[in-house]
Amino acid sequence: MRIRNREYTLDWAHLAFIAVIAAYVAWYLLDARSVSLARNNLLLLQPLALFILLFCAIVVRQCFRRADAKVEEEIEEEDPLAPTLPIGRELLRVGLLGLAFGAMVFLLNTIGFDIAIWLFALAAMLLCGERRPLALIIYPLAVAVCGIYGFKALMPYPMPTAIL
Amino acid sequence: MMDLHAMMEALHLMATSMSSWGWIVPGLIVGLVFSAIPGVSISMAMAIVLPMSLYMDFFPSVVFLTSVYTGAGFGGSVPAILMNIPGSPTSYATTFDGYAMSKKGMHNEALGYALFASTLCGLAGYVLLLFVVEPMANLVLKIGPFEMFAVAIWGMLLLGSLGTKYATRGILAAGLGVLLGGIGMNTAGFMRGTMGMPELINGIAPVPAMIGLLASGQLFNLATKDYILDAESSREVSLKKILAGCWGTFKFPGVLVRGSIIGIVIGAVPGVGAAVGNLIAYSETKRTAKDSQTFGKGNPKGLVAAESSVASSEGGSMATMLALGIPGGGATAILLAAFMMHNIVPGPSFIQNQKPMVYAIILNNMVQAVLLLVVGIAFIYAACNVVRIRTRYVLPAILVIATLGTYAVEGSVSGPITLFVFSILGFGLVKFQYPVAAVVVGILLGRMLETELLRSYQVSGGDLLYILHRPFALAIFAMMFFSLVMTMIGKRRQARIEAEEARMMRELDAQVLAENGR
Repeated sequence: MRIRNREYTLDWAHLAFIAVIAAYVAWYLLDARSVSLARNNLLLLQPLALFILLFCAIVVRQCFRRADAKVEEEIEEEDPLAPTLPIGRELLRVGLLGLAFGAMVFLLNTIGFDIAIWLFALAAMLLCGERRPLALIIYPLAVAVCGIYGFKALMPYPMPTAIL
Repeated sequence: MMDLHAMMEALHLMATSMSSWGWIVPGLIVGLVFSAIPGVSISMAMAIVLPMSLYMDFFPSVVFLTSVYTGAGFGGSVPAILMNIPGSPTSYATTFDGYAMSKKGMHNEALGYALFASTLCGLAGYVLLLFVVEPMANLVLKIGPFEMFAVAIWGMLLLGSLGTKYATRGILAAGLGVLLGGIGMNTAGFMRGTMGMPELINGIAPVPAMIGLLASGQLFNLATKDYILDAESSREVSLKKILAGCWGTFKFPGVLVRGSIIGIVIGAVPGVGAAVGNLIAYSETKRTAKDSQTFGKGNPKGLVAAESSVASSEGGSMATMLALGIPGGGATAILLAAFMMHNIVPGPSFIQNQKPMVYAIILNNMVQAVLLLVVGIAFIYAACNVVRIRTRYVLPAILVIATLGTYAVEGSVSGPITLFVFSILGFGLVKFQYPVAAVVVGILLGRMLETELLRSYQVSGGDLLYILHRPFALAIFAMMFFSLVMTMIGKRRQARIEAEEARMMRELDAQVLAENGR
């Protein structure tokens, strides 16, 4: 992207993340204001929400980077604790794992905890690169059986299951 | 200073609570194993086991979680020394001289130094806590709602500004956490942000949110790796050399004392914690040492300084958590959640009313520090292989445990759904370098912050000049400003130290390569 004769790169993902946070905060503020405009309701919430929106605007600037500065920054990066984050195909794998996790969570009551956990463990192993049939049969089964029986012994609530 | 009658009751409580003794060693092992895995932090380990503690009595559950905390303090040093990869951010300074010693073939001695410094200074931190906890509580009892609000804001700001390279993102994260913590019905009876869901009337369930933010969201990143860490081949472990390292720690009493003092003070400041303390202790020891040129090249003093600060900061952060009810970071936030799960609110009144329990918790932590010496040595033998576990086995198991754990806490599927939502948020926060711990502490303190501010508003009758009549609150705000400035300066200094250490490590690598080539 070119702004005032300078080439900039834009971190779209970060920009989207900030936009989601800002949209949520704005909605939260409007929701609170729709409940009541009393000080006892908005004393902390309103200034805090406006403060966050202000900081969102400040952080948006950090999503724009001068193209020549990016190279220097990559060379400077020495911190072993800096998050090593997935890109490209790896990001897709993480996304699929997230989807599988979400599917398990939302299907727990529908198909039963045992089946949902077994399916998730199987999907997670496949996504992490496991291809050996024996490991794919035994390990997800072991996770489901140990998890279900372990937690059934631990907690007093009923846990809907299909088989176990 | 110390109530001897309460102390005797504490000893009686410990003697009669046999189950609490049984949880020490498992807790230490969990802490050691989890924090030895790079990418799995102390708070992640504690978040994963937190739901288990719900079904224990209060004292054994606190013993279990604090044991995990104690074990994790040392566990992170093992990969730091053996592989130059800090198991957790608190072990970063340990890599400087620990790995250099390892390269010279002195890894056993380095582990011994680290373990003994952890044990001694962990003990020192808790001995001090034993003496100061009551005076601290008495002091806290004298402060009003506005001062509590100021202290909490100070902690949040520090947590936000220190937890990341970008202070703006940290402060934004802290604010977002407080906002999320205020969801539901406030103390004045107004209901906000619930999206019509009855599950949110009492606010976001803190435990599933915490596990999602601190653990599962960050674990997704591991899916891209075959092994958690492609470790170097296992090294030979020698008990004799480890014990020689342990004994060698006594040669540096000054370093131990300085590291402990820095650790306790830094640990007690809400939001700062051991991750900063170990760097400060290291740089101070290096600055004052006569042989400072050998730091970063395998000088045990650097290792002892870093480890002593990490271990003693635990006592400092527990002091703040117990006396103020304000967690200093992710790990103490989980301890606070464990207290809340048992309907116990830490703070001055808890210390006044439950003095024997407070002393019992502190005394038990001392026992943990001593037991760490034994369990830690045994663990070193296994540790070299911990990091070679394949993610395809670890990942599904941990995510399933987290899901079932949140179901166990909430008793409905709303727990796992909260976990999922906050896992996504946690992943995004880590990806874009926002401090996750700031959001977690914000969620925990959001309601308290709003309540204290409302009370101050009602007490003052809406007069903004009321603040001028509260000198202690003014002092806290002045300290907040001062510490924010110091944080900015400290960050620059830290960046310089890290760059210098990185340069020295590169030189050492080049030297080793040249010697091998000859």
